[in-house]
Amino acid sequence: MRQGRLPLILTFLLPPLALYGIFVLSPYLQAFQISTTDWMGYSAQADPVGMANFRTLLNDGYVWNALKNNAILLAVVPVVTIGLGLFFASMLTMGGRRGRAGVTGVRGTSVYRLVYFFPQVLSVVIIALLWKEIYSPTSGLLNGALRAVGLATPAWLGDPRFAFWCVLAVMVWSNVGFYVVLFGAAMQAIPRDIYEAVLLDGASRTTMLRKITIPLLWDTIQVAWIYLAIAALDGFILVQLMTNGGPNFSSDVIGLRMYDTSFGSENKFGYASAIGVAMFFLTLSVAVLALRTARRDRIEYS
Amino acid sequence: MTTVDTGAPAAEATRAATPADRPPRRELGVANVFSHGFLMLWAAMTVLPLAWMVLSSLKSNGEIIAEPWGLPEALRFDNWARAWSTAHIGRFFFNSLVVVSGSLSLTMLLGATAAYVFARYEFRGRQVVYYLFVGGMMFPVFLALVPLFFVVRSVGLLGTWPGLILVYTAYSLPFTVFFLTAFFRTLPTSVAEAALIDGCGHFRLFFRVMLPMARPGLISVGIFNFLSHWNQFLLPQVLIPGDGQDRMLAQGLSSLAVSQGYAGDYAQLFAGLTIAVLPVLVVYVAFQRQVQSGLTAGQLK
Amino acid sequence: MNRREILRRSAAAGLLATPAAGLLAGCATSGGGDEGDGGAYKGTKSEQNPLGVAEDAPLEVVIFNGGFGEDYAKAHEAMYKERYPKAEIKHSATAEISKTLQPRFVDGSPPDVVNNSGAGQIDFNGLVSQNALADLGELLAAPSLDTPGKTVKDTLLPGTVEVGSYDGRFLVLNYTYTVYGIWHSTKLFADRGWEDAKTWDDHIALCRRIKAAGIAPWTYAGVHPRYMSWPLISTAIKLGGPSVALAIDNLEPNAWKSDAMKTAADAWHQIVKDKFILAGSPGLDHKQSQTAWCQGKAAFISCGSWLESEQKDVTPPGFNMTVAPTPSLGSGDKLPYEAIRGTAGEPFMVPAKAKNVAGGLEYFRTMLSRKGAQDFTKKVASLPVVAGATEGVDLPYGLSTVVKALDASGSNGFNWVYNNYYRKLERNLVDAACGEFFSGRIGPAEFLDQCQKGADSIAGDSSVKKYKRSA
Repeated sequence: MRQGRLPLILTFLLPPLALYGIFVLSPYLQAFQISTTDWMGYSAQADPVGMANFRTLLNDGYVWNALKNNAILLAVVPVVTIGLGLFFASMLTMGGRRGRAGVTGVRGTSVYRLVYFFPQVLSVVIIALLWKEIYSPTSGLLNGALRAVGLATPAWLGDPRFAFWCVLAVMVWSNVGFYVVLFGAAMQAIPRDIYEAVLLDGASRTTMLRKITIPLLWDTIQVAWIYLAIAALDGFILVQLMTNGGPNFSSDVIGLRMYDTSFGSENKFGYASAIGVAMFFLTLSVAVLALRTARRDRIEYS
Repeated sequence: MTTVDTGAPAAEATRAATPADRPPRRELGVANVFSHGFLMLWAAMTVLPLAWMVLSSLKSNGEIIAEPWGLPEALRFDNWARAWSTAHIGRFFFNSLVVVSGSLSLTMLLGATAAYVFARYEFRGRQVVYYLFVGGMMFPVFLALVPLFFVVRSVGLLGTWPGLILVYTAYSLPFTVFFLTAFFRTLPTSVAEAALIDGCGHFRLFFRVMLPMARPGLISVGIFNFLSHWNQFLLPQVLIPGDGQDRMLAQGLSSLAVSQGYAGDYAQLFAGLTIAVLPVLVVYVAFQRQVQSGLTAGQLK
Repeated sequence: MNRREILRRSAAAGLLATPAAGLLAGCATSGGGDEGDGGAYKGTKSEQNPLGVAEDAPLEVVIFNGGFGEDYAKAHEAMYKERYPKAEIKHSATAEISKTLQPRFVDGSPPDVVNNSGAGQIDFNGLVSQNALADLGELLAAPSLDTPGKTVKDTLLPGTVEVGSYDGRFLVLNYTYTVYGIWHSTKLFADRGWEDAKTWDDHIALCRRIKAAGIAPWTYAGVHPRYMSWPLISTAIKLGGPSVALAIDNLEPNAWKSDAMKTAADAWHQIVKDKFILAGSPGLDHKQSQTAWCQGKAAFISCGSWLESEQKDVTPPGFNMTVAPTPSLGSGDKLPYEAIRGTAGEPFMVPAKAKNVAGGLEYFRTMLSRKGAQDFTKKVASLPVVAGATEGVDLPYGLSTVVKALDASGSNGFNWVYNNYYRKLERNLVDAACGEFFSGRIGPAEFLDQCQKGADSIAGDSSVKKYKRSA
């Protein structure tokens, strides 16, 4: 019985491990090493500079500005996305007219689900390019609509007051559908009779959401929060393609800082890696922090 | 795992018990109109951009600039032809298809085998290896980009599709292994034990018994990986450098957008986007249920 | 086992892994490009072949696919091929030079000729400070291909070598002679009975009339607002003389806050205050703003002389675009109204690690031949840096106004190069400040403050190599 066990473990485990070690682990480890050099990327010359890159980082106003934007994304995107996701999901699973049918979704639930999920199957590149055109001040969909009803037509991505929030909105837009479906699936797993019983007690829909749905969905919400938080710390592709961080760095994010430092207006690979390392620890701490603070006693209902 | 099977019979029972004579409360009607409005608004916000994209891809550049909401005078499919051939979107589409089929197959094979070992075999250091492996989900890909370039170059795979396939696979393994390990653990052990007693070898057991049993899980994670490989932008950007015909669809679209800035051919950009979006959308609509459950099941685990 | 557990444990695993990082001495930096064999292909030098081109060596040319397109380069390549029929030429064009080529520089396998231009160009400061560029000095001394008795250097317009030199080494061939000015449509002005103004006060008065006629006087590329820094700095130089530009290029303290710059910024603030700028301009990119201008939605736009070529497809017939210098501030100006910013632009380079360096230089010699230069003028309606390239060529309207403006400017022409020395300063920092200033969010004093801060940050960055010029 035991023969064939070891060969299987080795043949099944070694190839994936090798691939993972070569292409995932070793680059990450090298990045840490590069971050302590002044490597400029066009030659083999790279001198160790110790922690100098990290000291520069602490005083780099552009990095802090980008971090501030990531912090806003971190604070706003998960909350808004999860809020909208919960709202729509509860509408779709139990927003239906009460009466004979008990707790059901609104009419056309399946169509809504189908449509809401659209952005999830589009690549971020397509989403970014499409929305860039939508926001275009002269030929964009948005200003076309505003002009039609006689409202002011801002420059959107060209205005530092709006650019960042425009990108943030797209981030929310592209994520909500996924969480509607995710929360919807979780809600359907909640036994109907719990709701019906509470409804009989005369509880309102908001109470129902607050007292039953959210606590029962807490695990799912928490996972959603972590995923959205990690996404909020990135945001690079959207920002790079939509605004390239402008105007006047108003929509800059840390990922773009890193890209711009290495592949953009400068070629400081050592410094860029230092930004990357900082990003790594940031992501890690956010995840750990999220797990700590979001911890709640789980409610089991099985 | 706290999700339980839906209490279908229970719901059935309560449905009958719900007092039918209770009239709906008035304010709920108002709330319904209100929330219905929201639902429709969001649906419109999702559909409009896409519809606009398709519509614009059939307009002339003059029409696009003049009136964003206007309808095209004639349906200009030549925009599509231009995007397909001049901007090589057709070519890039095919490239992505080839690379993703390769990377997806490899990811599924290596992911399933590794997950199976983690789920079903005890050995020393299993925990450590597992967490190091699965921890890959936490790293920002960004940090690895520059060194990754050199790693791929030093193994001689820079600018090649096999290189891209291996890298896609490597970066998808953490989630795939994580997901499938959990899935293999849910499978009943009795079948495997019986098979082993019957003299079935370990390898045979895996390919003949366990793999077929894990099909639902494989489909879920397969759909997830397909979308993430198909939509990759950063990795090909760095690993298939240059301006050649061997690039991926996302790269092609982004350079189409950049050159559009110089050439002013908006219709071509919209046509390129439409060509890229439509097939994926059609596939999604056709397999809606599988795609949605595939993508969300992974998160619920 | 749930996800929370997984994330927590793998976070711990991730932390454990980090100290190991130092042990892994980087393979990355040790490999960085030291295998590149610069100039692997060498031929024997002779009178016919002064640069020592290996006649069968392949040549790879990468062209920036921007306003000039790529057809002119294909013609140059054909001329090269005519002389070296055995040479295989690989041509490619991209709008994203940096993204496309940087990995190949890092890799040590760059192409032989690179047209490093556009918004995505590679920072010259980095290239030069790391000796990534081949010295083009040999090219200057080589005899011209089709102008007997002259060296290549003798055929170049004045200023070409200076602009492409870093610490005395000629590294970058700027192929076009570019004039930067303010553009308008002769047709629009004739139809409306407007006359372009030579002084700032008249310009403002004209803007009022234009606005009253329902047309926006100005538009600009809000996504690349640095286009507006060009007329502003030009105004300052015309007021205070070329030393204004010298101070900026040399990163002198408070160069951006000189009296001339202050006066110029105050003057230009007028077009912002009086809302002379087309609404929505801050959200337009260069192409969109130029197209709006071609459609007659705005009267003036700031651009270089590549404008006519870039707008070829959307310019209505008879539009007749005309370039003009920036208006004079008054009689106190050190330079006359006619003085205009002209410089060699559109940079070409041969990477030091290119396999066919000699071929790259020879390709430049082909570009700089009379035949190559005239063909360029015909194809893209722009001036190459070769003297006499326009002789016998039927110039399109816009380019003929460029030639006229250059003639009128004569020895009063001026230029600055801080944008070549410190790409980030113009592309990122001054660019951002211009965006704020011309959209009206900050005033002239804050604008100059922000520019100065940007210059100071470059001056204080020890990782950026500094250059000085004396005149």
